Amino acid sequence: MTAFVIRRLIGMVLVLFAITVLTFLIFFATPGVDPARQFAGRNPDPTTVAAVRHQFGLDRPLPVRYALMMKRLFISRDLVSYGNQALEVVPAIRAATPVTLSLVTGAAVLWIVFSILTGVLAVVFKGTLVDPLLMILALIGISMPVFWLGEVANLITLDRWHDTFLFSWVPPNGYVPLTQNPWQWFLHLVIPWLTLSVLYIGFYARVLRADLLEVQSEDFVRTARAKGLSPERVMLRHMLRNSMITFVSLFGLDFGVLVGGGALLTEVVFGLPGVGKLTYDSLQTLDLPVIMATVIYGAFFITIMSAVVDVIYARLDPRIRPT
Amino acid sequence: MVEPGATDLTLDSAPYLAVDEHEVAIIGRSPWYLAWRRLRRNYVALASLGVFLLIVVCCSLAPVYAHHVAHSGPNDVHAGEHVRVSGKLRSVVGGGAVYDPKTNTFDVKPVIYLAPTWWHANGRFVLGTDKLGHDEAVRLLYGGLNSLKIGIGSAFLCTFFALVLALLAGHFGGWVDWVISRFFDLIWAFPVFLLAIAIGTALQVNGFHHFGINIVPGSLWIPTLVISYVLIPYVGRPIRGQILSLREKEFIEAAVGQGAGPLRVMFSELLPNVASTVLVLFTLIIANNIITEAGLSFLGAGVRPPSPSWGNLIASGQDQIQTAPWLCLAPGLAIVLTVLSLNVFGDGLRDALDPRAKVRLEH
Amino acid sequence: MIGKRRWGWLLGVVAIVAGLAMMAAAFSAAGTKSRTPSNPQAFPKLRAVLDTIDYLDPQQAYTGQSWWAMWNVYETLLTYQHVEKAAGYKLVPGLAQSLPTISKNGKVYHFKLRKGLKYSNGKKVLASDFKWAIKREFLSTGQGVGFYTDIAGATAYAAHPTAGGNISGIITNNAKRTITIKLAKPRGDFLTILALIFAAPVPGSTGPAIQNGTIPSTGPYKFKSYDPNHGFVMVRNKYFKPTKYIPRGNPNEVDVSLVGDADAATQMVINGQADYSNGAISPDRIANAKSKGRLILRANANTYYFWMNINEPPFNKLKVRQAVNYAIDRSKMQTLIWGGLGQPTQNVLPPTYPSYRKLKLYTHNLTKAKQLIDQAGAKGAKVTVWARQVSDSVDSATYYTSVLNSIGLNASLTTLPKATYYTTIGNVATHAQTGWARWLEDYPHPLDWFDVLLNGNRITDQDNNNYAWYTNKKTNAEIEALKKAPILTPAVNAKWATVEKQIMQQAPWAPWSNRVFPEFFNKSIPAKCIHVQRLYGIDLARLCK
Repeated sequence: MTAFVIRRLIGMVLVLFAITVLTFLIFFATPGVDPARQFAGRNPDPTTVAAVRHQFGLDRPLPVRYALMMKRLFISRDLVSYGNQALEVVPAIRAATPVTLSLVTGAAVLWIVFSILTGVLAVVFKGTLVDPLLMILALIGISMPVFWLGEVANLITLDRWHDTFLFSWVPPNGYVPLTQNPWQWFLHLVIPWLTLSVLYIGFYARVLRADLLEVQSEDFVRTARAKGLSPERVMLRHMLRNSMITFVSLFGLDFGVLVGGGALLTEVVFGLPGVGKLTYDSLQTLDLPVIMATVIYGAFFITIMSAVVDVIYARLDPRIRPT
Repeated sequence: MVEPGATDLTLDSAPYLAVDEHEVAIIGRSPWYLAWRRLRRNYVALASLGVFLLIVVCCSLAPVYAHHVAHSGPNDVHAGEHVRVSGKLRSVVGGGAVYDPKTNTFDVKPVIYLAPTWWHANGRFVLGTDKLGHDEAVRLLYGGLNSLKIGIGSAFLCTFFALVLALLAGHFGGWVDWVISRFFDLIWAFPVFLLAIAIGTALQVNGFHHFGINIVPGSLWIPTLVISYVLIPYVGRPIRGQILSLREKEFIEAAVGQGAGPLRVMFSELLPNVASTVLVLFTLIIANNIITEAGLSFLGAGVRPPSPSWGNLIASGQDQIQTAPWLCLAPGLAIVLTVLSLNVFGDGLRDALDPRAKVRLEH
Repeated sequence: MIGKRRWGWLLGVVAIVAGLAMMAAAFSAAGTKSRTPSNPQAFPKLRAVLDTIDYLDPQQAYTGQSWWAMWNVYETLLTYQHVEKAAGYKLVPGLAQSLPTISKNGKVYHFKLRKGLKYSNGKKVLASDFKWAIKREFLSTGQGVGFYTDIAGATAYAAHPTAGGNISGIITNNAKRTITIKLAKPRGDFLTILALIFAAPVPGSTGPAIQNGTIPSTGPYKFKSYDPNHGFVMVRNKYFKPTKYIPRGNPNEVDVSLVGDADAATQMVINGQADYSNGAISPDRIANAKSKGRLILRANANTYYFWMNINEPPFNKLKVRQAVNYAIDRSKMQTLIWGGLGQPTQNVLPPTYPSYRKLKLYTHNLTKAKQLIDQAGAKGAKVTVWARQVSDSVDSATYYTSVLNSIGLNASLTTLPKATYYTTIGNVATHAQTGWARWLEDYPHPLDWFDVLLNGNRITDQDNNNYAWYTNKKTNAEIEALKKAPILTPAVNAKWATVEKQIMQQAPWAPWSNRVFPEFFNKSIPAKCIHVQRLYGIDLARLCK
């Protein structure tokens, strides 16, 4: 196990390094990108631009620039954005993290609860109309692009039916910190939570249903029933626990991706200033320091969750040897 | 039941015994035929395949629709024109604030976009107009054509490369597997949007004309390549997982023992056994890619305006969502319908090919 | 008698106490009570919502929103009057006693500071603080550096800026409160450049590092706090003395929230959570918002245009460029792109300029446009139209492309990200034929337009701002001559109008709009209190409730 952990850690560091180098190279290889020109404002003369370039170290060779940026990001932690020199990158990410965490955690709670409910109900009512109906709903949930669903949600809750009692409580797009006003924090996040979780409820309900059906035919379930245990007890204590392996490992991967900035589309549509929106804004303005920081942040979470999930899989299913 | 007195029973005797018993010949069927039979009986899956093919056909007929029914190309601006709807003359884009130069004030009034005319205007503006006076129905069909081209094309490329890498990783194991798995990690953790924006920008000015490849600026190849690259791990990991479990089986050992080289083992033994998984994944990946392309185009990193795609139609429609909601709703519903039909068919395909499929999609 | 004296003594004490109490009440009322005799329009708090600001550091800030706030915080030697319409463009003394004396050759400017000027921290304002502000501009690489390089010695200083270094062209005397500025060559717009907030004096102890909201101020207000995620607060500067041109300001406090979503900001005003929002309400919501609050449409100095590169075929032919000007339907474009919130234009300068004479050279005529294309032999010519990936740019360029196709050219649209657009079209190697552009004025002088955008002598191979690569011996010479005129007299303005007409007859551009911006107020703000200053927008000093 330790050998595996060490191998994965080395792998993770290599992957992060490769990603940062690639991001750096892609940025400077994109034609028309000239941060010095952006800093020097409008219609400067060439000497000014050259002076600015020198001041920001943009005339040094690429590896030196890369090393300097990494140093300022990790060691001195005073890396500033190309778009606004007063914006420090690390505090910006730190400020955006609680927003993303609020969004993703809330959505995760919703989708865990509802997908388990849906999957279990579909299995319990297998053979009746309920099962295919729930599965069709799940499939529809998977088939809707999350940004479109968000736009439609905004249309309904903020415009068309905003004046009815159903949606008059929905506040305009934005985010209110939990520490500032818990009730407003909650109200601002309800619709985004529902929107983000729809896709995952559909997916996880199907995964759980398939696993439960598989487990249903196993010996230990038959034994439990033969022992005279009630169906609920059989379901909850015996079947669910054994079907959760795939569920848990997939959840780990998805959660990692979302925390790392994968909820970008939801954040953009609902105007939530999280890590995803920060990534999107920095890509629009080609602001390399912020791009680099968000890329590393996201890649870190994704690779670490991927490794954790592999460990869980290996522990729970001895047939699989981790690599 | 065996006849008393029969002495040599071999494996080859079975059909003949059965013929004696039941007067029916047992014909061995390949798993593919059995799968086809199962699929044939799944009416829901067949119906949804039909829906998907219908959508593909409709979108392919976009030029016909544009020319004969709507009399408008996808990029034709009709802003100043008037259309006769149910006998009444309406302007395509009307209203808006009016400036009075004498008092230097504006009389603020909303802009009125022509709503869907359905069948009331002889096929023109069936789905209404957008901000610039385009015929939205024409753009929807052309957009569908672009989205489907990208979705299906990238699915092919993605599946092909993922299959090759998974075969190599699964068969050779060891450090080859380690490198390829880390390569999957690298692609997986890499920001799709950065890549899409950067490559799109880099090729926007001059295109790519090297090594015998010719990509013009604004070509659909750019989002296709980006999406196919980025989703390689999505397909590759499950296949690799399945190959790893196959590797332990006896028939692989037998093949190796017979002196089969790696290529032979990969193509003749492993590949046929993962073929059903690959087929199912391919179908589901098309659906996934259509949604990914929509997301990229929505953010401005996929198909660039004025070329339509379902994603960028939603993006350009969101500013008018209050006064012209059909601009967002139509492309979104088109995506939902297409992806849903693919998903339902993919499910049916999976049930048919391997009723006890153990392969899970990570995403 | 003892009893009477005791009563008298008691009355005396009561009188003194009452007097003290009234004085105390009067003093406290002066600070916090709504209305005082000296300023009947004062009120406690203005709650404003801005979509974004970049900096609150005078040597850094370069957006209209930041300047809206800082105009009343950091004063400059010369400033603009707090009045509406054309008079708002007239330069008046700010921190200086009077307008400067200018040498005959236009290269030397003499200023004298007013007496008794103090910062918001009580320290005296010194003449050398102005020099420090300019040096700080170069030291901190503010975006205004390009404006001050014509000061003698500035270019040398900019190459290696140090805190102790010297700009030979600025000579100050603190005892006499004088500032003398020598230019390397005369600049007709130098006074307006001095009125930019980049040149606001700051204490000599202010370091070059960016400071948002902590630098002591010279204007009617100072910054109390700044949180980049939430907003900032301005309070009165008690050391400020109002002048003939700079009023005290009505709000005692200004609370600014930064809300990027225009719809959320508008909703805050409608709900009464804010008094004013500058958010760009989208055209389809604006009619709805109008009924729920007070909507003002503010013209600002901008021009949106399509440039045509006169070196690249087919736009090297005058007839083709004229055809384009005849072909676009400017009125229709206002409706399509901004929902009607714009004024059609064929001019380079926007109507806010005193020299503006409305040009009517090209009335919309598609047939004539097609004829001109045929005559020029440009039918079927392949054209690439450039735009940046912002929705209004893409929309207007899409319309433009379809118009070019309708008159006989073979046009297609290419879009680029915001960050790379200008460097790409400003690079001669791109051979860009035509595309979208807009210009927002930096300062109210025609040189900010003609010299930067249409002077052939200032064309560069890279980072060029003259996207049409327009050059013409006659107009180039006229622009150079007008550079030497330091004051915009009516005669000078008439000459600018002539130059503009001559340029538009050569049609390097197809200008199409002067955009108008919505400013949204809560109904509690009476219409008579809303004043639009030509340069800085809504005058927060004159708002009242």
